[in-house]
Amino acid sequence: MVKKKRSFQEVAAVAEPVTVEETISVNNLRANLDEIKTYDGVVGYILRNSTSAAIDLKDPTKIIDYAIISSSALDAGEELSKLFDLGAVKDIVVEGKGVKVLSLIVGENRISIFLEKDADCEKILKKLQ
Amino acid sequence: MDNEVYTFALKNALNEIRNVCPGITNTFMFREDGEIIVGDENTSQKTMVHVVDAFDGVFEKADAIGGVECITIEGSNGRVNVSWLNDLYFVTVTSRKADMNYVNTVTRVLIPTVLRLLEKICPTPLKSNSPLTETKHQLKIPMDEEFEKPELMEEPVEETVMEEPKETVEAETKHEPLLSEPPVNQLIVENLGGLLVPSDTVRIDSEILSQWEELYEGRKIEEVEIGTFDGKTMRCKVKTIKDSKFEGKGMIQVPEKVQLALEIKKGELVRAKPIIE
Repeated sequence: MVKKKRSFQEVAAVAEPVTVEETISVNNLRANLDEIKTYDGVVGYILRNSTSAAIDLKDPTKIIDYAIISSSALDAGEELSKLFDLGAVKDIVVEGKGVKVLSLIVGENRISIFLEKDADCEKILKKLQ
Repeated sequence: MDNEVYTFALKNALNEIRNVCPGITNTFMFREDGEIIVGDENTSQKTMVHVVDAFDGVFEKADAIGGVECITIEGSNGRVNVSWLNDLYFVTVTSRKADMNYVNTVTRVLIPTVLRLLEKICPTPLKSNSPLTETKHQLKIPMDEEFEKPELMEEPVEETVMEEPKETVEAETKHEPLLSEPPVNQLIVENLGGLLVPSDTVRIDSEILSQWEELYEGRKIEEVEIGTFDGKTMRCKVKTIKDSKFEGKGMIQVPEKVQLALEIKKGELVRAKPIIE
């Protein structure tokens, strides 16, 4: 369980030893996401891998809904990639009337970034890929 | 909107879109509640169901982001796009080589145009198996005249009751003066083949047959008259559809011989009405 208290909600359940490389990678990702969070129109992110999850959202009342959308979008991406032979999924964008969700998988990490509708996804993608 | 004409027109539109945009591999449409409207000929029902199921979780929580307007899955070999168009979700699967500007131009212009057009010319559902009681008070149009004016398809089928040729009507009225006018159902032709299939027997939904029989006080309907929009008619024996995959879809299974005689083929529309003697 996580002991460290931060401005965002963080949950980590370490089930097995994590290699140093993976830890660095996750830390890098989190640093990048923290920077992305400062971009115009970004309302938060969810980062999840097999051992931990980090959620940072401006509106904490939407954590569960956003987590389900994030997870469903990524699962749908994988499923449809197999169904239509799309190859490796680069990214998934779910656009709502008010918010859009950019989801992608980086290594073992499943990331969803929540943005205002007019925010720029390209800049975020460049930062993460 | 779940009528056959509407679906038929949309299906053709989707097929044509795929023809003009070779980069599109699959297209289909579904409602917000997940009901599949129509897909192109390249996309199986199973595939469509699979896709809709895959997005279940996203749609369930869509309210949190103000409802889903668009979903794009970008893969290294292609892309899936789901767009909200005219109260329907429109799915396109494109290959990596597809010119997305062209695809978007075609789909985002053509599909809404076709949908709007269909809304105008086909504002109410054309239910082929609607309650037959509704047909009793409808306008009567002579069969020949109606077939010469295919634009009458715009009217709901249940509102159209064809009048028998005068001689037949007179003959019938002598014996059964109180019988209702035969109802007419618009059905989509499906092939009927097999070694033991009689060449003079068509198959239609048991529900339609039951409705006809109910209308004629339990009389068994053994024959139907099939009419094409070119004015050709043919009298055939009728039985119920055995194959469950064709049931409840407004289809009529027609043997090859009858198709040749009427110059019709699979996917075309014909009119069928019971023959009461």
